Amino acid sequence: MFRDIFNLKSVGPLVVIFIILLILPTILPRFYTYILAVIFVTALLAMSLNMVVGHGGLFQFHHGAFYGVGAYTVALMLTKTSLPVWTGFIAGPIIAALTGLLIGAFCVRLTRLYFGMLQISLGSLIWAIAFRWYSLTGGDDGMHGIPMPPIISSQNSAYYFTLIIMAICLIIMYLIFKSPFGATLQAIRDNPERCEAIGINVRRHQLIAIVIATFFAGIAGVLFVVVEGSVFPDLLFWVFSLEIFIMCLLGGWFTFAGPVLGAAIMISLRTFVGIYTEYWTLILGIILILLIFFLPEGVWGYILEKFGRQSKEAIEGGSK
Amino acid sequence: MEIGQAFTVSALGSQFLVGLSRAMILFIVSAGMSFVLGVLRVPNVAHGSLYMIGAFAAFSISNLLGGGTAGFWLALILAPLVVALVSLIAERSLFCHLYEREHLMLLLFTFALMLILGDLVKMVWGADYRSIMAPELLQGSVNIFDSPFPRYNLFLLIIGPLVGIGLWLFSNKTKVGKIARAAAVDREMVGAIGINVSWVFAFAFVLGCFLAGLGGALVSPTISVTIGMDHDIIIEAFLIVTIGGLGNMWGALVGSLIFGLTQAFGILFWPQFAIVFPYIAVVIVLTWKPRGMLKSVW
Amino acid sequence: MKKGYIWGIIVVLVVIAAVVVYFATRPPTIARPIKVGIIDCYSGPAAVYGKDALNGFKLALEEINKEGVLGNKIEFTTRDTKFKVDIALNMAKELVMRENVDVLVGTINSGAALAVSDAVAKKEKVPFMVWISKSERITGEKGHRYVFSTGENTAMAGKAGGVALSKKPYVKYWIGGDDYSYGHDIANAAWRNLKALKPDVEVIGKSWWKPGEPDLVPYITAILGAKPDAVIFCTGGRSMTNIMKAVKATGMAEKVPIWIHSATDHAVLKPLGAEAPEGVLGTMDYHFYYPDTAANREFVKKFEAAYGNPPGFPAFHGYITAHFIAEAFKKAGALDREKFIDALEGLKIASPAGEIEMRACDHQVVLPMYLGVTKKSPKYGFVIATDIVTLAGDEVLPTCEEIAEARKKK
Repeated sequence: MFRDIFNLKSVGPLVVIFIILLILPTILPRFYTYILAVIFVTALLAMSLNMVVGHGGLFQFHHGAFYGVGAYTVALMLTKTSLPVWTGFIAGPIIAALTGLLIGAFCVRLTRLYFGMLQISLGSLIWAIAFRWYSLTGGDDGMHGIPMPPIISSQNSAYYFTLIIMAICLIIMYLIFKSPFGATLQAIRDNPERCEAIGINVRRHQLIAIVIATFFAGIAGVLFVVVEGSVFPDLLFWVFSLEIFIMCLLGGWFTFAGPVLGAAIMISLRTFVGIYTEYWTLILGIILILLIFFLPEGVWGYILEKFGRQSKEAIEGGSK
Repeated sequence: MEIGQAFTVSALGSQFLVGLSRAMILFIVSAGMSFVLGVLRVPNVAHGSLYMIGAFAAFSISNLLGGGTAGFWLALILAPLVVALVSLIAERSLFCHLYEREHLMLLLFTFALMLILGDLVKMVWGADYRSIMAPELLQGSVNIFDSPFPRYNLFLLIIGPLVGIGLWLFSNKTKVGKIARAAAVDREMVGAIGINVSWVFAFAFVLGCFLAGLGGALVSPTISVTIGMDHDIIIEAFLIVTIGGLGNMWGALVGSLIFGLTQAFGILFWPQFAIVFPYIAVVIVLTWKPRGMLKSVW
Repeated sequence: MKKGYIWGIIVVLVVIAAVVVYFATRPPTIARPIKVGIIDCYSGPAAVYGKDALNGFKLALEEINKEGVLGNKIEFTTRDTKFKVDIALNMAKELVMRENVDVLVGTINSGAALAVSDAVAKKEKVPFMVWISKSERITGEKGHRYVFSTGENTAMAGKAGGVALSKKPYVKYWIGGDDYSYGHDIANAAWRNLKALKPDVEVIGKSWWKPGEPDLVPYITAILGAKPDAVIFCTGGRSMTNIMKAVKATGMAEKVPIWIHSATDHAVLKPLGAEAPEGVLGTMDYHFYYPDTAANREFVKKFEAAYGNPPGFPAFHGYITAHFIAEAFKKAGALDREKFIDALEGLKIASPAGEIEMRACDHQVVLPMYLGVTKKSPKYGFVIATDIVTLAGDEVLPTCEEIAEARKKK
């Protein structure tokens, strides 16, 4: 099975990229290492969202809630309890997935926009808890200076930690994407009625997808705490969730790797255009419109279209 | 202690009236959004930006005319037209080329539009707080149910139903309204009988944005007109059209009433947690009726 | 020959002495300009404050750079945080790691200020001067060597309000405000002080609305229905305009006395014009018309000439921030962050509001608070603060012992 999925042709470039990323911190100035780590975290988050949006066809409008739950869980475990550090790191994704299960169970009964709006409302209730419970979560000020174990507390070690965890997660996601479950999910996206008719339990599949996606969102949340050392309610606010959604669309939500690119583009634009002008949202808006008009399949979709028919099949696996 | 209020008839009555008047603004804005959702099938994320432009345009127009009573009324009429013009330009120059595209691309477009309009407003009007004065007739308050009820809110209670009647007449009695309604149900069919669907879409989009601008102009005398207004209204409008029934204009009315009244009565019982009222209302409604209160076109 | 030799030694010694004296008495100079990085919010509803502060800062830099600091200049660069904590962190790190700024300055968002204070200022050992955010935790329990505040904070405002209200006969209070940390902090601080000074006061109810809530009339009718003796509103920014309009429309100010911190801020009152309610009790740390001193008149005149508006409190904070930076570097005599901090501790500078001090124990600037009542001013055409009572800075600040206690607890 593995031979089918990982042929040398498609894995080769990825390994090269990974090795380059491993070497980069020794060459790059510190700030760029930091921004790369931020991009990894956001990319993982966008990828996890795309599992349900792009591959599952669900309007997961409040993915940030689960990211925030993961981040808050690890932050609270590290500051308020004296449990071993790694329990916090494991609890983050698990609590996020449980939240995903709970909210997902409510939402999968609904379709499309109704699904999305119910999720925004339920997620916003979690946001309100983080925003209001001053004695526990620090309220809207958030919690800062969360102590990290020494092994990942320096900037470079945080970079490596994020990079490696992200790489592992992406591989697992890819395996899920290629698994029979992933195929079923994509079939449900394309034609839910038919899948229902041939005896697939649509809602259960969707719910499982949500739980998996929220688990990875939780991991991204934990990585965010590793990189920034802070948590704050913005992470669970709907505006941020919308931004992640946009990253998926921008990168190309029918492709596997698109969201990584979407996240990288959004973060880099925000950071590097922000250096020159306070009107960087205007520039971002214009760039988005240009992309919509000239790259309708998203950036990664365009790259696949243009440069690699054969690798497109390898990576995309006829998902459309 | 927190719930230590006497729930007299008059207290409930006055909360009911203020809730109702708040619902009128929400109705006007969300009816516009519902219209776009119904016909174009796209959640217009830029709706809030157009609402903001409506408020800023009302400010500029009334200021230009000296800020008096005449200025206010003219602003109320002209500001939504300005917004309609902005949306017509955006629609004809960019948006209309995307109708054949993948559906979510339209969402991405409206997001980009929101980013652009937000910054343009900042460039044109700056960051200062602006304020419009209501005409003398609508200043101050009258006593209803033993508590002060602002005259402006009374005015909203009149204008809301008027807009509702206008929309009903438009969609039931005019040809273009009927076509738009039909397009909401089955757009292929409308195209098949030889109607230019692109113009129907344009019309629906502009009408929706007009209503956003009207809402912005109407709300402007009661709030501080400032950049960032767009974010406040957008999520509320979305939730309202969802619980009302997507794309159903009367659903927007029902949703607005639910929001306005939960807010007003919630404050009476549980004033510390007003921040979650809208979300709880949505959770309850959607758990009870998964496709909104009224028949949805989605 | 021998004589010539001695003379030669003398000449050399004199030259050396002269050189030494010259370099010892000459003011120290630095090789490059001082770089200040500003992160603040220039988008969204808070932008009005961010821009005002920046204008005050720029005005001060013009004055400072005319004579220079240590033979060089102060330069600055700004980043827009969009009122978001994660963007503030990105931008602050960019300024520190990429631009290598010597001092960080910002921001209005207290969450962002606390995050940057911890993750950037403390970790990277860069002095961070907070100029608008009013959270008392910045220099209170979360304070450390690298963070300073050049604005008033919620503890000061709350104390001023508490002291003022304790002199009034009201017993039953209603507290309402924006549901975010600024609102809660003001409410807690005011209540803490009021209760200590006048133990028989009680809260009969609280309402919290979402920050920027457009329709506050239902809250007011509910509050009026409960018939409190007085109301404490804890709002800021655009909610301030909204509450003022709602108070005016319902005629609330005539029925119940109200105290709101920064109710007398002209950024809010000026656009309202005649629409602002009269008789509202408010506290501020700066007015462009008060204190009516030559220094303040001079500052206001220059500011109006440059930007067309009178300065608000953020402009005042921005102005004194720049002067604190300049004076501290002059005192430190070198472009060194640690020396800068040592110099800034306890530094006193002249300001439009008289001499002010950067308290050494907690890095909080000591500013007086002005308590006033809103009243229409025929001179300005809008409502201003009148009957102003000044509370000295050390009266309203928590003591150094209290700060040390709060920091220890954490």
